Amino acid sequence: MVRSTGDDVLALFHSLRSAYAATPKNLKIIDLYVAFAVSTALIQVVYMAMVGSFPFNSFLSGVLSCVGTAVLAVCLRIQVNKENKEFKDLPPERAYADFILCNLVLHLVIMNFLG
Amino acid sequence: MARSPLILVALICLIPIVCHSFSPESPTSRRILVLVDDLAIKSSHSLYFKSLSSRGYDLDFKLADDPKISLQRYGQYLYDGLVLFCPTVDHFGGSIDQASILDFVDSGHDLIIVADVQSSDLIREIAIECGADFDEDPAAMVIDHINYANPENEGDHTMIASDNFVKSDVILGSAKIEAPVLFQGIGHSLNPANSLVFKVLSASPAAYSANPKAKLSNPPALSGSDISLVSVMQARNNARILICGSLSMFSNRLFRSEVQKARDSTRLEKSGNEQFLNEISKWVFHERGHLKAINVRHHKSGEEDEPAVYRINDDLEYSVEIYEWTGTSWEPYVADDVQVQFFMMSPYVLKTLSSNGKGLYSTTFKVPDVYGVFQFKVEYEKLGYTTLSLSKQIPVRPFRHNEYERFITAAYPYYGAAFSMMAGFFLFSFLHLYNK
Repeated sequence: MVRSTGDDVLALFHSLRSAYAATPKNLKIIDLYVAFAVSTALIQVVYMAMVGSFPFNSFLSGVLSCVGTAVLAVCLRIQVNKENKEFKDLPPERAYADFILCNLVLHLVIMNFLG
Repeated sequence: MARSPLILVALICLIPIVCHSFSPESPTSRRILVLVDDLAIKSSHSLYFKSLSSRGYDLDFKLADDPKISLQRYGQYLYDGLVLFCPTVDHFGGSIDQASILDFVDSGHDLIIVADVQSSDLIREIAIECGADFDEDPAAMVIDHINYANPENEGDHTMIASDNFVKSDVILGSAKIEAPVLFQGIGHSLNPANSLVFKVLSASPAAYSANPKAKLSNPPALSGSDISLVSVMQARNNARILICGSLSMFSNRLFRSEVQKARDSTRLEKSGNEQFLNEISKWVFHERGHLKAINVRHHKSGEEDEPAVYRINDDLEYSVEIYEWTGTSWEPYVADDVQVQFFMMSPYVLKTLSSNGKGLYSTTFKVPDVYGVFQFKVEYEKLGYTTLSLSKQIPVRPFRHNEYERFITAAYPYYGAAFSMMAGFFLFSFLHLYNK
């Protein structure tokens, strides 16, 4: 075996990147949105580890808003993806309307719990 | 004829109001029973008794084995103080015995007990109950070959001159006792584990306790500064007991005697006995060093009435008034070491109260950041003063939910995250609809 694991990882990374380049643009927008939500959640967790959990309800509310946003975006992506056989008959407008409604409820709960 | 018994009954009813005896409002004893072995003591110790009666005490002299003496009748004590000048009594007369004397002290009354050479077991046992162990050999006396008094008649050095006083202005008076005190009698030792009894006049390090007439076969059991000549005990109920080993110390002869210590060339005209014993009798009968604390008040800074509950991080003020009895009236007590504790299992706050000179002690502090049920405790135990032990309970509650600040600084990142999520959602919804 002349090729080492480092070369393997690099080859894997390149193939992933080229495969991802083939996804449609709207799915990429959703992926960006999910990445933004998850990174905000991580920042909050690191902050809490440094400072302590004093207003714990605020911490939970902040993290829940990020995680909930990410989850709902992922659900939208699943339902809107044309390659997904399961949701072939679901109109994308319906998926979008569900997404908006769930987000509204999520933000209502977040605002209440933020304190 | 029917009116005179009625008048008599009315007059009799006024008697309890007229007699002013020991009461918490005037703590000085008034009526003192003096038990003596021999009524000649009344004249040989007359200077001491005169000083007591000139300060307003009613002295009642009785022989120690008089069958009619008793301390109480029908449950009420007839006397406020007891002086035992009877070192050789074997058996008290009447209804007095060791148990009744100890009950007398337990009920808060004062006692002076004097032993001497050849004192009886009864006096010894009463002294042991009070914390002083006299030498086991009844013929032993305190001998000091270095600090004996009056060297021109050598004698057996049992008359000693001592000036090892306890350092306390409240017990011995503010005037310094210039002359040494003459003592001739037996010494006692104090149990070091007993924290209530302490030496007022101790022997010098060269003294020892032995029988002067017998040859010393083994080293003396009591020696040096462990020997206490006069000691005093203040019980937890603030009753005071004076224990002394020499009856002649109180006599006119020693009051008026000149004194010169053996190695000292100065000869003083008058011994310190009269001043020493008068001052210490004043202390024993509560004419000095008796404190009372009244009017414990606490309130939030800025308000006047006492709340039922405090909140953490409140500012509060605590004040108490302390007075000292001078024998005739209550005067404000001035000191700088009275402290208050804010206590729950251990003191969270310990502050020294500042005095305003008129007996009012106050301080302000912040309630600690812990909630629970606290006590304001003042535990004042100073040598020679009655103990003050005050405690007042008060609960402390945490913040109510609307007593926090509206926007907590530490939570700004979380607020920021939640709002940024909302903004992101708004932006994304447009992007998702209108991308091609």
